[in-house]
Amino acid sequence: MTRLLRTSEITGRPVVTLAGEDVAQIKDVVYAPGRGRVGAFTLAGRGLFAGPLPVALAWSSVVALGNDAVMIADEEVLAPLEQGVDQPATSGRQGNVLGARVLTDTGTDLGLVADVIVQVSEDDSACEVVGYEIESSDAAGSQADTLLIPLPETLSASGEHLIVPGSVTKFVRHDLAGFGAAIEGFRSHLGGED
Amino acid sequence: MRFSQARGQKIVSTSTAGTVGRVSGFVVDPSTSRIAAVRVKKAASGDTLPWTDITSFGVDAVTVDDAARITEASEKIASLSGRKRKVIGRRVLSTAGNELGRSSDVEFDQESGAVTAIVLNDEKTATGKVVGIGSYAVVWQED
Repeated sequence: MTRLLRTSEITGRPVVTLAGEDVAQIKDVVYAPGRGRVGAFTLAGRGLFAGPLPVALAWSSVVALGNDAVMIADEEVLAPLEQGVDQPATSGRQGNVLGARVLTDTGTDLGLVADVIVQVSEDDSACEVVGYEIESSDAAGSQADTLLIPLPETLSASGEHLIVPGSVTKFVRHDLAGFGAAIEGFRSHLGGED
Repeated sequence: MRFSQARGQKIVSTSTAGTVGRVSGFVVDPSTSRIAAVRVKKAASGDTLPWTDITSFGVDAVTVDDAARITEASEKIASLSGRKRKVIGRRVLSTAGNELGRSSDVEFDQESGAVTAIVLNDEKTATGKVVGIGSYAVVWQED
């Protein structure tokens, strides 16, 4: 079964080796070029006053992303961030998704990105960005403060705006339950248009 | 058999037919998910009985051929011992990264010494094997 997660739920989770040692905690999510998937995590030390670590955790080295911990084989897999991955999502102007304004291609403002929804495949081999949690503006046709919008495979993004197809509003959900179906529906809808 | 049932069991020498010690605990090797040694109390020669030196781990007693089988811990056994290498009373994480609960007991095979199941929060039992025993958690691979 694939699982949907808010990336804000992942940050702060302990990174634990299969030997049972907690070697770090997740600080930030780093997206792979093209933003379609999670590329790596930046890390902080464990403990209240621990600062950021100079090493990062590549997604390919994650054994499992669980509800309570991110499992890795051993501490050896932690390495400095490679060139070619974007800046962490919540820091640095270039790569900042959180706080960006979501516009449809028809020019409707849906709101601001509050969180990124990722889908983890059953065997933890892929961690794909599948949607955003939006602090809605009225135009989304909803009274709720936050809503979830599914993403197509590709989208255009700048530090300022995210552009999504106008048809996305039909697939808006208010909670993660049922969001998986909305993603599938939205993607097949887009596929049908091409 | 469970650790809780085995604890306190007497260790008897088959050559002298006398009680030479009592089981006080277990040392588990996470690399094999097997008991590496039995901790012994009230023995003259030491506090450790390596699993391979046990003649038989019975229902009522553990037998050894000689009391001298109980020795001081070897370097290997010592490295697997200590507060942070205990299996009982610890946070248990699955290899999938989910917290299963706190370990309250362990089931093992009396023939092989293999750890076969872990009891969580005194209630449910998860079969599988130990893959790691660290300072943060016992890592358990579920069947």
